[in-house]
Amino acid sequence: MDGPRENSIEAHGLVREFKKGPRAVDGIDLRVDPGEIYGFLGPNGAGKSTTVHMLTTLLPPTAGTATVAGYDVVKEGPQVRKAIGAALQEAALDPFLTGREHLRLQTTMHGITGEERSKRSDELLTRVGLTEAADRKVKGYSGGMKRRLDLALALVHRPRILFLDEPTTGLDVQSRTALWVEVGRLAKEEGVTVFLTTQYLEEADVLADRVGIIDHGRIVAEGTPEKLKADIACSTVEAVPATPDQRGAVASVLERFGEQTTGYGPGSVAVQLASANGNLAEIVRALDAEGVVLSQLQIHEPTLDDVFLAKTGRHLEGAGDEEEQDSEQDLEPARA
Amino acid sequence: MRDTLSVARGVSWRVLHIFFTNKAFLLPSIAFPLFFFTAFVGGLSRIRQVPGFDFPTGYTAFQFVFVLLQSAAFAGVFTGFGIARDFETGFMRRLMLAAPNRSGILLGYTFSALVRWATVATVVTVVALLAQMKIGGDGVDLFGLYALALFLNVAGALWATGVAMRLRSQQAAPVMQMPVFLLLFFAPVYVPLNLLQGWIHGVASVNPITALLEAGRGFISGRPELTLAAFAIAAGLILGFAAWAVRGLRRAEAAG
Repeated sequence: MDGPRENSIEAHGLVREFKKGPRAVDGIDLRVDPGEIYGFLGPNGAGKSTTVHMLTTLLPPTAGTATVAGYDVVKEGPQVRKAIGAALQEAALDPFLTGREHLRLQTTMHGITGEERSKRSDELLTRVGLTEAADRKVKGYSGGMKRRLDLALALVHRPRILFLDEPTTGLDVQSRTALWVEVGRLAKEEGVTVFLTTQYLEEADVLADRVGIIDHGRIVAEGTPEKLKADIACSTVEAVPATPDQRGAVASVLERFGEQTTGYGPGSVAVQLASANGNLAEIVRALDAEGVVLSQLQIHEPTLDDVFLAKTGRHLEGAGDEEEQDSEQDLEPARA
Repeated sequence: MRDTLSVARGVSWRVLHIFFTNKAFLLPSIAFPLFFFTAFVGGLSRIRQVPGFDFPTGYTAFQFVFVLLQSAAFAGVFTGFGIARDFETGFMRRLMLAAPNRSGILLGYTFSALVRWATVATVVTVVALLAQMKIGGDGVDLFGLYALALFLNVAGALWATGVAMRLRSQQAAPVMQMPVFLLLFFAPVYVPLNLLQGWIHGVASVNPITALLEAGRGFISGRPELTLAAFAIAAGLILGFAAWAVRGLRRAEAAG
């Protein structure tokens, strides 16, 4: 009989190929330590969900190995499923059941019955703020309520590892923040290991202890958000001229300090500084020497989007749109 | 084993809860067998006057056996429709994730098919008794009749489950339904086998459902016949379709 194993996730050379399609996951190596929140960041179609499906035993890998909670995802699927909870994008709720009935189903399937079931259901409904809506059919739930119920369902059996596949997509700011607080609490207070996929930079930045950036099925960067930003990206200076005719003059001055970049205000000029410690005072002096009048001057700290840009040559937002046409989920699996 | 039973319990609870609390699911399941029963017994009752028709307990009992077996088979097949719907809506993914032992999913759906059929069978039996159906067999014979129907129900559920697990779409409904429909209606439905002529007699003679039907009619009339063959066929169907369903589950798992 096995004793409790470490709450870690490990993958080595994980590959998933689909018939008539590209490699959705192309040799991923990763390790998530116990109690860590690991953010898996990437655009649509990058391979995030496919990776989660393999780690949660929903999809067998074409090649490579992975262990979750110390169990092999291919050979020890039942043990993996006992140790994990998962809230996935495509796992639907049943419109004919209420929130409480969903919890009844989930608890029963995990062998939790009787008084313990009622107690656990009430506790989780309270925790996700669905006590009042518990006896309503879920077809009347909002997107946020469905996500919260989904999280409650994933937690029914007190999993040691939690997989959240884009848990806040489509949520309003309030629901998103509440979910972040709960996920943070689970990791910090209950020691749950969290594997979180997201396409939101802010989510990865706020929640994750470490971030893996995935693009075209490969991890292109990995580390703490702070380290990734410090290693790769430099600060950006954004200047807004007082009059539009001075835009050219501002651009020529700023280009001496770095490469012009886009994605900022419509009337502004922005450059990513060539060195990590770009000297703002020098920039101000150069602009003054040219007699340029500015209405605004800002320095932006590097973001994970800058990291993504540095690694892939594209911005994260919208990067996956062109790949969305052939969603990886619709492709048939190739014969291994 | 405990994991399997927990999963089966959860899955069957959900299916049955929805079945019993939604008229849209419950009523057609009961109405169709009743319609067949009343239509066949009412509309074709004069068949009992056909020379050579010597069924001792009358045409109502003769048709009751067919309707009972048909309802059993179709209660099983309808379970496959539910599984296909769960694949289409994504709910199956939730079950696959939550189930430590996924064989429990098959067991749960199969058990729910059995309870659904038991409900329908109860109503059909009550209606048949109200219609003054004569029963020649004793308690053991009737137990045999219902056990045979139960076997057919399980076989039907496993067959449809296997199809649903492979095709994972509600468009698979005809594939689940049509072979069962053909097998049932290429058996001696309206008259005994010896009164059938031509190609239909040939087909019915080799149709495995014929043995089940004749054995069932033997039970209700109190003159059991083909009992061993019928149970052997039913058990064979269950074993064969259980393997079919389990392999279907493995294919669904591989497809993600």
